[in-house]
Amino acid sequence: MIWQAIFAASPTPTPTPTVPGAGIFSSSLLLSITVWVPIVVAIAIAIVPNPRGRYDTLMKQIAFFTNLGLMFVLGVAYNQFQSFLPTLQYEERVPWLPAIGAVYHLGVDGPGMTMLILSGAIGIVSVLASLGVRERVRSYFCLLLLAQASVNGAIVARDMFVLILFWGAAAVPLALLVLGWGGHRRHQAAWRLLGYWGLGTGALILGTLALYSAAGQGSFDMDVLLKATISPRVQLAVGILMIVAAATRLPLFPLHGWARDVYSEAPVGVTVIVAGSASRLGAYLLLRTLIAAEPAAAHLLAPVLAALAALTVGYGALVAMRHHDIRQASAYLALIPGGVTVLALAALQPLSIAGAVLSLFAGGLAAALIVSVCATLSERAQSRSLHVLAGLAPRMPILTWLMVIAGLAVLGVPLLATFTSNLLTFFGSFKTQPIGAFAVAAGLGLGAIALASLWRRVLFSAPNPDAPGVSDASLGETWYLGMLAGGLLWVGLFPGGPKLPGTDSPLFDQGLVNVLSAGISDIASPYVLPTPGPGQ
Amino acid sequence: MAPFAAFLIALSSVRTRRSAANLAMFGAVVSLLASLLVGWGLAKRTAPFLATYSYINLPVAFTGPSNFQGFGVDIVLRVDHVGIVALIVVELCVIGVLGWHQVMGRSEPGAARFNALMSVLLFGATGVLVSWDLAELLSFWGLTGAATYLLLAHRWGMDEAALRARVALALPFVTDLSLLCGVAWLYARYGVNNLTTLLPILHTNPGWTVRSLVVASILLFVGVAGRLALWPLHSWMTRTVVTAPPAASAVAQAVWSVLAIVVLYRLMPIVVASNTQTVKGLLYACGAAAIVAPLLALVGNEPRRIIALIGSGATAIGAAVVVHGFQVQGATFAIAGIACVFAVALARTGGLLAMSAIAAAMRTDDLAEMGDAWTRMRVSALAVLAASVVLGVSAVGALAFGVSSRSNLGIAMGEAVVLIAVGGARVFLGVSVGPLRRRRAFEPDRVREAPPASLAWPYWLAGGGALLVIASLIHGWLDFLDGKKHPTPTAGAYALWVAVALIGFALPVLAYVRDQDGALHVSAWVGVWLRRLTYATSSNFERFVVAPVSEIAVRLGERWIPVGDAGVGGALDTTGRLVASGARLPVLPVVILAAVVLTVVVGLVAPGVFR
Repeated sequence: MIWQAIFAASPTPTPTPTVPGAGIFSSSLLLSITVWVPIVVAIAIAIVPNPRGRYDTLMKQIAFFTNLGLMFVLGVAYNQFQSFLPTLQYEERVPWLPAIGAVYHLGVDGPGMTMLILSGAIGIVSVLASLGVRERVRSYFCLLLLAQASVNGAIVARDMFVLILFWGAAAVPLALLVLGWGGHRRHQAAWRLLGYWGLGTGALILGTLALYSAAGQGSFDMDVLLKATISPRVQLAVGILMIVAAATRLPLFPLHGWARDVYSEAPVGVTVIVAGSASRLGAYLLLRTLIAAEPAAAHLLAPVLAALAALTVGYGALVAMRHHDIRQASAYLALIPGGVTVLALAALQPLSIAGAVLSLFAGGLAAALIVSVCATLSERAQSRSLHVLAGLAPRMPILTWLMVIAGLAVLGVPLLATFTSNLLTFFGSFKTQPIGAFAVAAGLGLGAIALASLWRRVLFSAPNPDAPGVSDASLGETWYLGMLAGGLLWVGLFPGGPKLPGTDSPLFDQGLVNVLSAGISDIASPYVLPTPGPGQ
Repeated sequence: MAPFAAFLIALSSVRTRRSAANLAMFGAVVSLLASLLVGWGLAKRTAPFLATYSYINLPVAFTGPSNFQGFGVDIVLRVDHVGIVALIVVELCVIGVLGWHQVMGRSEPGAARFNALMSVLLFGATGVLVSWDLAELLSFWGLTGAATYLLLAHRWGMDEAALRARVALALPFVTDLSLLCGVAWLYARYGVNNLTTLLPILHTNPGWTVRSLVVASILLFVGVAGRLALWPLHSWMTRTVVTAPPAASAVAQAVWSVLAIVVLYRLMPIVVASNTQTVKGLLYACGAAAIVAPLLALVGNEPRRIIALIGSGATAIGAAVVVHGFQVQGATFAIAGIACVFAVALARTGGLLAMSAIAAAMRTDDLAEMGDAWTRMRVSALAVLAASVVLGVSAVGALAFGVSSRSNLGIAMGEAVVLIAVGGARVFLGVSVGPLRRRRAFEPDRVREAPPASLAWPYWLAGGGALLVIASLIHGWLDFLDGKKHPTPTAGAYALWVAVALIGFALPVLAYVRDQDGALHVSAWVGVWLRRLTYATSSNFERFVVAPVSEIAVRLGERWIPVGDAGVGGALDTTGRLVASGARLPVLPVVILAAVVLTVVVGLVAPGVFR
């Protein structure tokens, strides 16, 4: 019966092609493909025999081409996406547990599509970054694909029950990856990850149940649950729980304890997926549940969010300035983009919310780039200590440039996507959260000092004669790091998509800022300020 | 686009030093020719060339104030007379620097990288000068800033260079953030980025307040002042002047002074719209910078640092004239401040390049160890003299047009002119006059003039500066720049300011004639004490503010939170063990015991049970 329902699911209306290449295929199960194909492939990898690692290379290729195929599907979906449609697109709805009102409901709007593109790109990069894994390859890639699937599922879920399942499911494969393939402190890292994310999942469950009970409609569907009229007191309680869930995932100070250990001990591929997409789910959850659904609580909690954002950015920069381990320093620097995203959400302005969505994408790439480039550099230089690493620039020019791009991306320098997102964030935030915006700007200033110190010690100073031998990035490492940098540059140069000169016709990319705007006006409509009167 | 195309080609295919240098020079020359062509087209018209391209067009709301329903960033290319002249000045500086570096920079590593970054710098500078949309301005401003940092930190593998380059990132970035905050603050109030649309509605947009304009003005000014390197935001320039490649330092100082003064000129209507106290405050800040910077140049004996500081002082005079020009209602002399800075930019570039050649030949950066350049390196010494003279008299036109010598501002500016002239003359005299002493591993007889191919560039630049100084004395030049009529100052006004500069030139001559070594010794001694004071201040700030705060942050993240996590984990583990061990206990006695305990607890807690 379920299979009948799946195959009978109504496809979305045939999209009107907007760019060349659009409309080449459509599927009513497009989003399910992004969720279940990695799971199916993971299961296939897990059950196919691999005696003495004979098929390790084949498994890596399968994982890579799975992600490549998914990215192709997502690319087509992106090009077919109707950026002026405020409703959900690529919807799938199948009744699942009618007794409790759970529905297998998937769909994306602008922010969802942006997150999916991010997840797809991060997926490819994480697989490329994992090609150096030699031990228990099958298990590794099986868990990696499961992690990717759970992230995709959390992005596209339109039912809170389904969201919770995917949200919670992401922790397990990632913790196992850290535990099985991490550094010498992997046990602490894995348990911390499970502990914090478990706390967040618990908060999410409590909040969802509170909403479910308060709404009284007997449905977990977001279109019902998040649009129900709920008293401000319940909204506030749910909002606090959602903030706890988001803060453990993004992370935000002071619930960031897992980040240092996971980013510094996990293998590079795992850090990419954690920093790039899995952690961004925290801010995405805030956008979906607090900002979009609970305006009363959002207004009350906005100063708290702004304060958390400022604390996260400032704290991350301060600690990175004093750290002696390059991977841990990069872990703290990776907190900065998350803080900027939360400031944008706290401002509760249409422009800042658009900035928050773009910051999810750009910040994910920037965080992934900074942690992965520092991890790669420490591997290539055979040391993580800043007392040992010195003057690497002349001998590692590729990694030097990538590290500089990563640092500039964290700061939000022009030509990179984070500049555009920071522009939208600050332009929107000064209206309602000027103190928070100033504080975050001050934190970015501290970040610049931290990066200047880091670059001085690691890259530009005189070489350390007692350091181990170093080698520059290999071709594979250059590729996956370059993809992250390339993504930042592409969106930074063409946020509205490349256009034919002199026209407004998009070439082959309608522009991420145009895609993410779909649905922003609906989300932001409760927060639009009235036109001020004279003298106000 | 020519510099950007040169950068892309350099990135993709250039590998050798010569091809990189030639490509960068080609891009700069093409850019200059295009600018001259545009300038010729603009010469007969007053309206600027204007082209607008949509870059970002983001609808975000369907209700509320119309200004905030969408967000758009346009690439607005607006070329007016000021912009085109500024662009030509910037291009001349870049071409001069590239030409000099082709010869004198042969020992610098990373030629392809250096020249590619120069192309990026020129591209960004062009963008800043033609931008009329504030968000667009921020983009090009930040891009130019990033290229500047990478140029100033160009010498990889050197501790001192790396140490000093930190401030070249941190300080300008903080001021750039201030500019970003100022622009964002304005947008939050007005909802527009385009200056053409913004300026007319400063006092008419619903919800505007004086306070918001004051805050925006201060933020914008701090952002611009940082890149102008006005005291006390000058250290990013002075600390890297010796450790960065000379070409990089010279071009960074010159280009940013031009960019920032033009942007200040364009943003001044916003400052004026706030209130008179704000304008006055900014004027005081410029005045203080104009005096303190050349005063600091008297302390210490590093000649390139002195040139940087007197350049900063002269730029501050230009900025003060710009601010004062907008302060006085109905006045039109603000443009004279810009004309002054144009001249300063070329002169300081030429002076720095010539001085760098001398310092490289004499293998020292201490005036006390230099000397006799008039005999051994006459051409370079003459270039230093020319640049010093131009710097000393660069403000004459601006002050004659706009500042009364009898006002407080006039007295302050007079002091600044004297100090600038003193600094310039001091550099020339210290380098050219007196014996060049033998030092350890240094033989004075081996000092030779710089390679002939590099000698002309400082002269051309100083000569260009001189031409612009002369032009700044002529009202027709100012009329051309801003399209307004300017009354000609009296001959007495010109003579007065020239005399002030001559006094400044004469003072070091007198001091050096009496006792050159003594004068240098005093400067060095005061410089040492100033360095000690600065070091003590910064180390105390580090010790009592930065270190405790960052130590708390580190302890929080490295000890307290992990200990807290471990505690929570331990508690959970203990709870779990208790639960697990409870499974082995006999059920009935445990249940009875639990029931008794609960009954007693409820009885004690619940009201009215034992009453």
